[in-house]
Amino acid sequence: MYEWDFSPVFMNADMLLSGLLNTLKVTGSALAFGIPLGLALALLRLSPRRLLAWPAGFVIEFFRTTPPLVQLFWFFFALPILIQVEMTPYMAATLTFSIQSSAFFAEVFRGGIVSIERGQWEGARAIGMSDAQAMRRIILPQAVKRMIPAFMERAIELMKTTTLVATVSYTDLLFQANELAQKTFRPLEVFTVTALIYFVFIFCFSLLAHRLERRLAVSGETTVH
Amino acid sequence: MDYPWNFASVFANSDALLVGAIGTLRIFLICLVSGLSLGLFVGLARYSTRRALYIPASAFVEFFRNTPVLVQILWFYFALPMLVPFEISPLMAASLGISLNSAAFSAEIYRGGIQSIDKGQWEGARALGMTTAQAMRRIVLPQALKRMLPAMTNRGIEIFKMSTLASAVSYAEMLQQGKLIASLDYNPIEVYTVIALAFFVFLFPLVQATYALERKLRRSD
Repeated sequence: MYEWDFSPVFMNADMLLSGLLNTLKVTGSALAFGIPLGLALALLRLSPRRLLAWPAGFVIEFFRTTPPLVQLFWFFFALPILIQVEMTPYMAATLTFSIQSSAFFAEVFRGGIVSIERGQWEGARAIGMSDAQAMRRIILPQAVKRMIPAFMERAIELMKTTTLVATVSYTDLLFQANELAQKTFRPLEVFTVTALIYFVFIFCFSLLAHRLERRLAVSGETTVH
Repeated sequence: MDYPWNFASVFANSDALLVGAIGTLRIFLICLVSGLSLGLFVGLARYSTRRALYIPASAFVEFFRNTPVLVQILWFYFALPMLVPFEISPLMAASLGISLNSAAFSAEIYRGGIQSIDKGQWEGARALGMTTAQAMRRIVLPQALKRMLPAMTNRGIEIFKMSTLASAVSYAEMLQQGKLIASLDYNPIEVYTVIALAFFVFLFPLVQATYALERKLRRSD
């Protein structure tokens, strides 16, 4: 029978904590770049001009249908040779997950914008707004409210996806866990604690998202089914 | 930007990539079959009114939905061997992680599909003298499965993408083979570009087919 011993894990808790902070850092940066980029892609894809809509559609479909780990490897190992810059694991991770999540965010934005009734557009135009003004002042504010649950779902997915950076040696929570397991020869305890840390974090976010979703559903404002 | 692209060494090693493609397909099929069938049982247990079934199934679903797959795979590869008396191969660890994760996600799809079926269908089945199990198997599930089809094909596509995570435990799937070729000839650009395109070319038609299916079902429902 295996004897559990968690003391080596708790003695090195600072290692896991610094890893957790880095996980949050990558998640935060990817969200900060990914959401505006996603909005831009969505607006381009909705454009009536094919010259704008098609490339945006291609970027969205490409990043949604290729595995994020392949994208990460491409940005980390291939891109630096192509454009001759040093790529740190953090930069590669932020770049990959910003673009990857922006493709998903773009579809959330698009779904939200399309869900707004035509009457809103017509009303805005009737009082003399241009398309851009109507989008900014009338459509987007209403659409964003409906998109909140889908956004939170994507943000949670993103946080789970950031574990992939451990494979390019960025010191996120999973990478630190791997190091600690090798150092202490206690992989069972280390990986169990790590899984639980992720679970507690992500589960709390999920609960929050569900609660918000229910509240918005009561007022009839949601795009999640 | 004037990098001299040279795909020759990728094609010279295409047999290694082929081995990888077979590895990817193998892990995909294992996880698809075991994940989706286990998911059905978990989904039914979650739908059950018996607490002895409902509570463990819910805990399973919440745990596997709210932890990253890569953490699960590494747990099965590095941690589980301390508890069991046999060796865990990379294929086993990766399949366990991805299958259980997919089971948790698909359980929610099954549950949602079953719940979406009109109450009248249950009542009608019972009026004909069917037991709950018979009504589920003969009346409710067949209708629910049709509605779940788009969500299930999406899951399948996700599983295919997740199969690349097996490279983290050195299982010889496409990406792992790509890593080997890249380290052999130092040509990561060409190798990873080819692999990304291969995934795209394979999955893009499936994604489009899913969209078409969604539209078709929406019209018929």
